Amino acid sequence: MPTDPKALAYFAAGIGAGLTIIGGAAGIGRLAAAAMEGIARQPNAGGDIRGAMIVAAGLIEGVTFFSLIVTILLAIK
Amino acid sequence: MIALLLALALQTPPPPAEHASPGAAEPAAAAEPAAGHEHAAPQGHPEGAEQEEHADPAEVLMHHVTDQPLPGMRHIDIGPLHLEPTRHWLFFVLASAVVLVVVRLAIRSYREGIPSGIGAAVETLVLYIRDEIAEKNIGHDGRKYVPLLLSFFFFILIAALMGLFPFPTYDFKSGRFGIVSATSTGNLSVTLGLALIALFAMQYAGISKHGFVQHFVGMVPPGLPKWLLPIMIPVELLAIVSRPFALMIRLFANMLAGHMVITALLLLIPLMAAISTFFGIAVIPVSLALALFIMVLELLVAFIQAYIFTLLTSIFIGMSAHPAH
Repeated sequence: MPTDPKALAYFAAGIGAGLTIIGGAAGIGRLAAAAMEGIARQPNAGGDIRGAMIVAAGLIEGVTFFSLIVTILLAIK
Repeated sequence: MIALLLALALQTPPPPAEHASPGAAEPAAAAEPAAGHEHAAPQGHPEGAEQEEHADPAEVLMHHVTDQPLPGMRHIDIGPLHLEPTRHWLFFVLASAVVLVVVRLAIRSYREGIPSGIGAAVETLVLYIRDEIAEKNIGHDGRKYVPLLLSFFFFILIAALMGLFPFPTYDFKSGRFGIVSATSTGNLSVTLGLALIALFAMQYAGISKHGFVQHFVGMVPPGLPKWLLPIMIPVELLAIVSRPFALMIRLFANMLAGHMVITALLLLIPLMAAISTFFGIAVIPVSLALALFIMVLELLVAFIQAYIFTLLTSIFIGMSAHPAH
């Protein structure tokens, strides 16, 4: 049974990175699905929907990266 | 960076050291013509390569993405301030200089009001930011903020693109060639500076439009029950700070993550070479292909991040100028 704090940090970093990606992927996936459906129903609004989608994707991505940095710091420090 | 990896590949020899080191180095040198001559000296005497510091992958990764002082420069200490030219500082100044030069060239390319060459490309972006970002999100007085938004856009774009471009260097002391490249927006201090400017712009927009007191009073939505005020005031104050904070973290993390992924993919080569020479050679095309893919993705990310930073800044300025909409 490893009780080395460094091992625990690596373990936490691995789990945390996986959870982060699950969250980010779920968010971006839902966003993309909704945007595609919107564009398919209303091709004229494609440009506007794409712009709004990129902004929302950027917001989700920002939070995802924030927690990824926390996990990287766990693994490296 | 590639040079650094090759050095690492040379320094992590599998058990039959004399045999494997040159074997692993030659295909790598063939795959990377730019770095090939750089390692002419270590290949001559493989013992010399062994003398250098043994870096483990995490160290190489951190060395690549963190700020390093420039070699051979002196530093100035003013009280608690430690002023020293560093890699990110150099690329920060270079990116600013490139932006200024590109814009000057663009202005000079106008002949009787018609742009040519680089001017046409810059004009497209400028018009897009003025019409689609500033005026749509800030409103009629959006034109006032166009210069600021354009500065953000072009600086972030050029800084990110410069991080993807390898700059050859030559060390006069050791007589070795190297490659230096850095994204200055991959440094938290640089993005903090950008975010502070954005924060001032947001507050300026509200204060100049409504006056100092009315700007802060207007942040609380009208018609709110009195007993909610103790909750809403801290929340609104938090919102003032959290918007630029999100801008800062997003840009920093995006720039950092791309470089980390590319470095990690290239680090697969020495990691596999440490297992066996065959694995090391076999992983080279895979690693280079994946790194190239991420590099191309980074080109896209450079544009998207510049766009998002500009867009969000203009949205926040608009929210500050027109509260409770």
